[in-house]
Amino acid sequence: MINMKYLKIPMERIGVLIGSNGETKKDLEEKSGIKINIDSKNGEVTFDENNSADPLMILKVENIINAISRGFSPEKAFLLFSDEADFFVFDLRDYAGKSDTHIRRLKSRIIGSEGKTKKVLEDLTNSKVSVHGHTVSIISDIMRMNILKKSIDMLLTGSKHATVYRFVEAQMKELKRSERLGF
Amino acid sequence: MGKLGIAHIFASFNNIIITVTDLTGAETFSRCSGGMVTKSAKDEGSPYTAMKVAQTVAEQILEKGIDRLNVKVRGQGGNKGSTPGRGAQAAIRALVRSGLKIGKIEDVTPLPHDGCRKKGGRRGRRI
Repeated sequence: MINMKYLKIPMERIGVLIGSNGETKKDLEEKSGIKINIDSKNGEVTFDENNSADPLMILKVENIINAISRGFSPEKAFLLFSDEADFFVFDLRDYAGKSDTHIRRLKSRIIGSEGKTKKVLEDLTNSKVSVHGHTVSIISDIMRMNILKKSIDMLLTGSKHATVYRFVEAQMKELKRSERLGF
Repeated sequence: MGKLGIAHIFASFNNIIITVTDLTGAETFSRCSGGMVTKSAKDEGSPYTAMKVAQTVAEQILEKGIDRLNVKVRGQGGNKGSTPGRGAQAAIRALVRSGLKIGKIEDVTPLPHDGCRKKGGRRGRRI
């Protein structure tokens, strides 16, 4: 086998990827038609890309496994089967250097008190946000992705929350108007 | 039966370039980039542009008698993120839609074996 794709996922997420009695893994294999091998000793995931009917499926499965390893639940990660959806990961170490306290601070800025900020962003842009370890990852459709990415970047570089909310609301209004005009 | 070609897709976050060559890579059959199909610079990396680029390329190579492609996808690479941009998927889908047979898809993003220091400095990115 030359054409084996190969990913590494954190140990604590292997259980989620497999699911109870292997249900999640089975579901993923059934929906994609690609066989997945998980090594639960060192967190390696390999899959064979030769025998899939849809040539794009392999990219989607890769995204889904990455999403699960970045803290999304399988139900949310399976949204990536749609053609519109896209997945992106922010690495907080790019913003805060190596300091753990800085990374903690940035994580809490994204989540907000009792998850308020995260909820507002998710509701406004109709997407999913996950904060896990030193990463913030988002699942969103392609048009709204840009807005969400910009707003999270604003939060991470130090804008006030009110400014970000205002920015997202204004951008969403504009997007909805241009969609109504027939794009 | 047509000939086999290789589509080199370079999808960064701000642009997309598709080059179709023969198997050795020595002869170029067609090449197109984001700026050739759109006018505004901010759209060059968008999935819609990627689709248009792929369609342009597909038209040109079908005329030259190539109907099967292996795809090599490449992202920015180096120390700037290892995933191909969002245009890559859209481009491959458009190639399939315009009647080309896709064989292997390969990721050829150059990955450092721990090379240069990442941009941003010791204290990370600040405003």
